[in-house]
Amino acid sequence: MSLLEGLRFTRGDSLIHRLDPRVKFLMTMVIFTSAILFMDLLPLLVIFLVQIPLVFIAEIQQEWTKSLKGSVFLATIIFSTNLISYYFFQGRSLNTENVETALALTVRFLNLITSFSLFFLTTSPDKLSLALEKARIPYEFNFAFITAIRFVPVLADEAQSIMDAQRSRGLELDKGSFLTKIRKYIPILLPLIINSIRRSLDLAEAMESRAFGATRDRTNLFELVMEGRDYAVVVISLVLLAALVYMKLYLPPFEPLFPYRVLI
Amino acid sequence: MGIIEVRDLHYSYPNATSPALKGIDLTIDKGEFILLTGPSGCGKTTFCRTLNGLIPHFYNGDMEGEVTVTGLNIREHPTYKLAQHVGLIFQNPDNQIFALTVEKDVAFGLENQGVPKDKMLEAIGWALETAGIDHLKDRATHEMSGGEKQRLAIASILAMKPKVLVLDEPTSFLDPLGAERIFRVLDTLNKEYEMTILLIEHRVDLATQYVDRVIIFSDGRITNQGSPEEVFTDGATRLAGVGIPRVIELNDRLKSKGILLDRTPLNPTMLVEQLRGHIKRGNANRKAVDPDLDLFTGEQWVNPIIEVEGVSFSYPSVDKALDDVSLTIHKGEFVAIMGENGAGKTTLVKHLNGLLRPQEGRIKIDGADIADLSVANLARKVGLVFQNPDDQLFSENVEEEISFALRNFGFASDVIDKRVDWALNLLDLERYRKSSPFILSGGERKRVALGSVLAWDPEIVVLDEPTIGQDYAQKERLRHFLMQLRTQGKTIIIVTHDVEFVAECKPRIVLMADGKIIADGPIKKVMTDRDAMARASVAPPEITKVFQQLSELGLPDNVLDVDEAVDVLSQVLEVSK
Repeated sequence: MSLLEGLRFTRGDSLIHRLDPRVKFLMTMVIFTSAILFMDLLPLLVIFLVQIPLVFIAEIQQEWTKSLKGSVFLATIIFSTNLISYYFFQGRSLNTENVETALALTVRFLNLITSFSLFFLTTSPDKLSLALEKARIPYEFNFAFITAIRFVPVLADEAQSIMDAQRSRGLELDKGSFLTKIRKYIPILLPLIINSIRRSLDLAEAMESRAFGATRDRTNLFELVMEGRDYAVVVISLVLLAALVYMKLYLPPFEPLFPYRVLI
Repeated sequence: MGIIEVRDLHYSYPNATSPALKGIDLTIDKGEFILLTGPSGCGKTTFCRTLNGLIPHFYNGDMEGEVTVTGLNIREHPTYKLAQHVGLIFQNPDNQIFALTVEKDVAFGLENQGVPKDKMLEAIGWALETAGIDHLKDRATHEMSGGEKQRLAIASILAMKPKVLVLDEPTSFLDPLGAERIFRVLDTLNKEYEMTILLIEHRVDLATQYVDRVIIFSDGRITNQGSPEEVFTDGATRLAGVGIPRVIELNDRLKSKGILLDRTPLNPTMLVEQLRGHIKRGNANRKAVDPDLDLFTGEQWVNPIIEVEGVSFSYPSVDKALDDVSLTIHKGEFVAIMGENGAGKTTLVKHLNGLLRPQEGRIKIDGADIADLSVANLARKVGLVFQNPDDQLFSENVEEEISFALRNFGFASDVIDKRVDWALNLLDLERYRKSSPFILSGGERKRVALGSVLAWDPEIVVLDEPTIGQDYAQKERLRHFLMQLRTQGKTIIIVTHDVEFVAECKPRIVLMADGKIIADGPIKKVMTDRDAMARASVAPPEITKVFQQLSELGLPDNVLDVDEAVDVLSQVLEVSK
């Protein structure tokens, strides 16, 4: 799950962290579309390189490397299935162009991972929920979203306690056949589910006690306010997107990086 | 008219066989600080739920009678309206925190009411400061300690500026110092802001020092109420199964010996001031006790059963949760591991059955290194009972729950039957044999969890926080039960921050702080080691506090419980005529 590790918000106070989440989302979407737009290695590599300084500005290089490491497995699969299918569809032969395309698709995947990391690693769930609210998503959904995130660590702790308690009663999770193993998770899942039901009652009581639903016109402690840098990023993103679309539609396609040669 | 008026209140939960509240009449005036106590299941929590209309709006069931709070009839106003006048704070702080950061959580109630931002900031600032957590404003809520979380829960309610504050066992998950901090916050709110406070508590010692009135609940009725002096010196209170604050208990016992004080003491200092005038100079004649001998059996320990040698352990998020810990526990010994939340107590006991493995150092059980033994293997010898029974109960009925471990260990079926019978008997659960564990009360569920471990008769029994959320009678019962296990020669280890419970059990004490053992020895030695106690953030028992203040008059400072105190004091006090 180290792939997902790269998507968990890490606190920070960088320029990227401070961007308005909506603007950051636009930026991510531009990177995302540009990665989808092109199939050639050169532009995809350029997009990849452009993101690296952003990663460093956001000071998330550690988490980002973690998610890259986590995606090695998937990246290898993308690369090799492409090569293998070229090999068989072309009657058991491969050329440099095929390798380049396979590489391009792999880099495209890494681009997607990086752009998502940039967004999720630097956007606190609180800000995300504010953005959702601005997008007119009903507050109930928003609240459910935040509560789900809020209780992830609590549930993880609880699952650990339950495992500890049952292992102390002689439950051996790693022994037996596949089916018996599944059965062995019942003593862990049941308390987890029952506790969650109990907890939801507690939560409902606490929500009522905090005047949940008192008025349709909720206020918000933090409001999203667009600042100069946000507008700047919007302009840059849109100009870039326009340029890329123009390039794709009206300029001649990219030359391959390597001269054509039959490999096998 | 009082701020809370309750007239002939009856209530039954849906599908309940008997009513939870059976005719409550009560008037509470503005600015009162009230302690509401009574045995588990007496209807205290149910009563609280009526005060902001959770009953009858959230819980159905049959309600009769009238409840008026700040002039509002709770039937006629929805909970979100009442919540602006009455703040309810519950036992488990985790289940009342909704946001990811502190400031945002305090804002939650105000946002819901649509309060404009400038007013919101003002209220949040005040609430954080009053609860003493303004320095944590930007902290992520899941990174806080239990005590901090409970103070956040209080701040979040305070921000809504209610006139009445109702707290349902707010300190039961906290260590004694954490609890004291909460009480001081409540005291300020009551004195400075004239807030009316209704506090539900089992731990009466601390609460008594702050409140104006005590109300005793029993079986859905108010059985006694009045000033703490009146209520706790009344025999009826004792009969209801409620604990008596130790200083009042001591005063009562002295009275029966003919030593009369002018006023009933409510805290150690009050008792000390009055005792001073009565003490004839002179030394108490005490039996010389060798402090190294076990206080309960008078034995000297020889056979080590657990040897922890230089063990260190770090979690990914906590560096050095255990830092070079060495500890030897002998066969038949009774040990209490104490210290602040997060001192490493639970981490240490999890090493004893292999749930955690030492990153440095080693552990021997019965002379054998346990590094290569599986948890299931070790569990046969070391039975670990966790704090929350709900983290392990899952079976259809109690009988199956208790036999679960026995089946895991591969006992023969006739042996299993015998062992289950034995455990059910031992813990007085026979009548629940075929009941679902989930319909039992909290105390009973705790007993089932305990039974499910004792069933395989482990030589070493480890209990993590066995007294949390237990009322006075349940604690007494647990204490007798532990003594019974001792007579069977079992080695018992408890992890706890309940000093009063420990003072009555008198085990050997191991004090921990920051992953290290900072004091270890017989309770009389450790409890009077003021430096170590302060470092471990453990407050001495109430009676010891009294004697620490009296020690300048030549009295011993290591007196732990009421019996001993009566013994010492009756020798040095003049009997009044």
